[in-house]
Amino acid sequence: MAGVLDLLVIGAGLTGLFAAYTAARAGLRVRVVARGAGSTHWHAGTIDLLGYLPNGQDAVANWAQALPELPPAHPYRLLGVDAIAQALDQFQRLVAAAGLPYVRAGGGMAFTASSPPEDRNLQENDPAEQFDDPRLGQNGALISPVGAARPVYLAPAAQQAGNLEDDRPLLIAGLDGMPDFYPALIAENLQRQGRLARSASLPLDQLTERRDRSPLHLARLLDRPAAQALLTEMVVNAAAPGERVGLPAVLGLNDHARLLEKIDRALAARDPDTAQTPDRRGACAAVFEIPTLPPSLPGLRLDTALRARLDRLGVRVEIGMEVCGFHATGRRIHWIETETGSRPLRHTARNYLLATGGILGGGIHGDRCGHVKETVFDLPLTAPQTRAQWLRPLFLDKRGHPVFRAGVSVDHRFLPLDRSGAPVYDNLWAAGAVLAHTDPIRERSREGIAISTGCAAANAVVRGQQL
Amino acid sequence: MKRMQTEILVIGGGATGTGVAWDAALRGFRTVLVEKRDLTHGTTGRYHGLLHSGARYVLKDAASAVECISENRILRRTHTHCIEDTSGFFVVAPEDEDDYPDRFAAACRRLDVPCTEIPPGAALRREPLLNPRISRVFELPDAAADSFLATHATAQGARQAGATLLPYHELTRLHLSGGDGNRAVSAATVLDTVSGRELRIDADLVINAAGAWSGWVAALAGVEVKMILGKGVMLATNARLTNTVINRCKMPGDGDILVPIHTVSVIGTTDVQVADPENLSIEQWEVDLMLTEGDKLVPGLSRSRILRAWAGVRPLYQETQPAGEPAPAAGDPRSNGLPAQDSPQYSRDATRALALLNHRQRDGLRGLITITGGKWTTFRLMAESAVDAACGQLGVSRPCRTAHTPVPGVEQGHYWLGHRLNEVEEENLQSELICECELVTRSMLEGAAQRNPTVTLDDLRRDVRLGMGPCQGGFCTYRAVGILHSLRAGKALPAAAEWNVAHMQSPAHHHRDDTGPAPADDSRRRSAAVDPRASVSQPNLLLRDFLQERWKGVAPILWGQQLRQERLDELIYLSILNADHLPVDDEESPLSSFFRSDSSPSTSNL
Repeated sequence: MAGVLDLLVIGAGLTGLFAAYTAARAGLRVRVVARGAGSTHWHAGTIDLLGYLPNGQDAVANWAQALPELPPAHPYRLLGVDAIAQALDQFQRLVAAAGLPYVRAGGGMAFTASSPPEDRNLQENDPAEQFDDPRLGQNGALISPVGAARPVYLAPAAQQAGNLEDDRPLLIAGLDGMPDFYPALIAENLQRQGRLARSASLPLDQLTERRDRSPLHLARLLDRPAAQALLTEMVVNAAAPGERVGLPAVLGLNDHARLLEKIDRALAARDPDTAQTPDRRGACAAVFEIPTLPPSLPGLRLDTALRARLDRLGVRVEIGMEVCGFHATGRRIHWIETETGSRPLRHTARNYLLATGGILGGGIHGDRCGHVKETVFDLPLTAPQTRAQWLRPLFLDKRGHPVFRAGVSVDHRFLPLDRSGAPVYDNLWAAGAVLAHTDPIRERSREGIAISTGCAAANAVVRGQQL
Repeated sequence: MKRMQTEILVIGGGATGTGVAWDAALRGFRTVLVEKRDLTHGTTGRYHGLLHSGARYVLKDAASAVECISENRILRRTHTHCIEDTSGFFVVAPEDEDDYPDRFAAACRRLDVPCTEIPPGAALRREPLLNPRISRVFELPDAAADSFLATHATAQGARQAGATLLPYHELTRLHLSGGDGNRAVSAATVLDTVSGRELRIDADLVINAAGAWSGWVAALAGVEVKMILGKGVMLATNARLTNTVINRCKMPGDGDILVPIHTVSVIGTTDVQVADPENLSIEQWEVDLMLTEGDKLVPGLSRSRILRAWAGVRPLYQETQPAGEPAPAAGDPRSNGLPAQDSPQYSRDATRALALLNHRQRDGLRGLITITGGKWTTFRLMAESAVDAACGQLGVSRPCRTAHTPVPGVEQGHYWLGHRLNEVEEENLQSELICECELVTRSMLEGAAQRNPTVTLDDLRRDVRLGMGPCQGGFCTYRAVGILHSLRAGKALPAAAEWNVAHMQSPAHHHRDDTGPAPADDSRRRSAAVDPRASVSQPNLLLRDFLQERWKGVAPILWGQQLRQERLDELIYLSILNADHLPVDDEESPLSSFFRSDSSPSTSNL
């Protein structure tokens, strides 16, 4: 059985890709199949751990300390702080190695966009040392594209200088005619929250003759050195000494770090006196990205980085394969079938990981009669009984809408459970937004749930294989 | 308190009130119209968009049928661009009674409603999704009408004739003068709901065109007008299912009209008598009934993606009220969800003909006329009757001119579905799009915001169809808030160029050299523009209100793909924008509580 897969992951979002990485690094033979590209590229590219508690008005300052306030069945409660922190540590190592470093959004400024990833010492960090870190679990506050404070734990290095704990004045600089970024609105809302902020709009005519102002088009454009030089000059002209500059997250698809570094250096060269030197690494970043509406460049970059690492580990990620059937006897799944262009394709593996997401990702479907179904294996779900119980009258109700908490209940190994509390199958695992007892969007825990449960489920599979 | 003086004061900014202002101004009366919210906020903006041929009423309500066919012919001339010439089919489904079609055809002939029977096969070739089991098909001159655009066009016609229209001015008091036997309405106090200031308007005559709110207005003058309020629920699908208006050829009932309007099809309606036009709940049985009945017209309609549900309320009036139907038997789905204290009544049997109440004859009260009942299709005729009566009270004789005076924009010809896409492609405007679903460009949005007060984004939705497509505001809400914020923070507007209301529908308007006819005189130009710095609400409030307004209409139909779409909207507004933690303090717009209270009670017991 040398050719048999140890783990077949269904779903190519952050959960599925990170679980595949975790299992493959442990030496398992892994493959990913998915209907579509996952929802990573819809999101802001940050790693949100827990921004708000159910019913909570104020942002969670430290997610690690807030875990006991979550309901007992919440996935984080199954894991505990240490397991979550370990998964995040693994994640940081992965993206740093892929050239897309992620840093703590809150607290100090140890890592900046301009410091190369190999300087970061992440690979050699002793995990135990990290867990003694007094800042463990401490959320930062980054600027949303409407000027609200987003509670974020880890941010792409490109976003970190937007941390609102920093009291340097802000210049929010937009690109003329871009429909998805409104610098004056962002600045006004920051002012209303007591920040020093102003806005500017940079002319795009010099950069491109095309009228297309979509994030993807602009990002591709800004991968070019000539466009990078022009934008650098415009930012330097617009920024006052001592100001940090927030730009829409369109600063390149493949090369945004270089552009950020160019702008940082140009600003530092112009104002050598005001350039701050808060840490051992020299100039502090003065420019940062603010995420935009989908499609999100930070999300696309994350997706690309994860897939590149999986590629190096020999893990194939097959998109365009929707699961259309499976075969199981007793408590064992033998194979699944996917739709392909010509005929159904059969996939056999020792273990299967369900990472198809929730209602947004397509892993869960609610129909008109009020039935909520898991779409691949029709697993038993924890869900409201009738459609009348799905929603609340106010869209922005802090408690969220009950239907979006629908999901699969799992045990501490992340095996889906039936109504009696026993595993449905011995070789089927579940992770990410398909899990019950959490509303990751309302909690701002989307990426935290994805990374920590994906990692935990993969580790459970690895342990099972070693037995 | 500020004061103004006018000859005719119109209460209500729906199709009827706007039509009255247009008619009165064309006859040379100094005219002021007050509307408590935005133009078309009431029933006019909440109907399915059917321009009746009258055929629906030939056997049940001949007076209404005759009014409809006559007005149908007139509106095609005066409001051409607000009408899509879809034609209409009356189809006999297997469930329908046998003798109705023949009686129907005979009645159409008798009442001069043009009716042609066509073979079912020919009808199916034109509308392939129609139920193949239909046995007979009649074609009639029904059509689809854009009631938002039509009202705006009428309003512009009224303004050009000198009328003053005051949206967001709520009537709070009618002033009576004279003693017994000589009582008269002489003035009104209105509240500017945006600024909070009061205004007294002295008027020779007040015309009550407040639709479902008419009884309330009449009560301010101490007279009783007992309205029958018939709530109708409608659903919009995410695509057009037919290009022809489809009616069931049977006695009018629930869910038997399917209207293609712009990019969607609307199935309607229910008819349930309600007490309060402000709080219209949408019950699950009503949604289910629309889908079940819709399947009889287009099999599979119930499985198509439903974008939205909404309810309007018909302002029906009969001087002698029909007896209510007996209470539904146990097990009737209608008995669910109705307030227990009310005896359920259905208003299907009340006449759709217009009702003119001349309170001088009826109640011995001069200076007040109520015009109500009727249909959207007959709004012009209602206005004509009301202003005729006004002439009588004022002792003057001035003929009505509306039947022969086109409103601005008719030169465009009938609306057609590809209109916006054609302009976007011809002028290469893809990158200007703010709402990809409905092809709304930035300049359309800015133009509308500069011509109409924007208390909520919902006002712009009615103007340009913002947020009416599949994502229900997912992307455009944020963009519109950003654009309006720039307008609000921007410089004062230059004197507005002449603005044809049809430009609100035209993506290419600002990209063409010829911007329409030569400007009229200065005072009229000024009145055509509003200063967005003063009239646009605080941006965070715009955002919060519109998200809730959209939610109100999607909550009753969220399942399947539309539920998934809503989750994407949550991702955008909660996770990316963190819009539920924006500084809004305790601010409220005049509509904040309306958007909250209008949501479905089936979801409110959590």
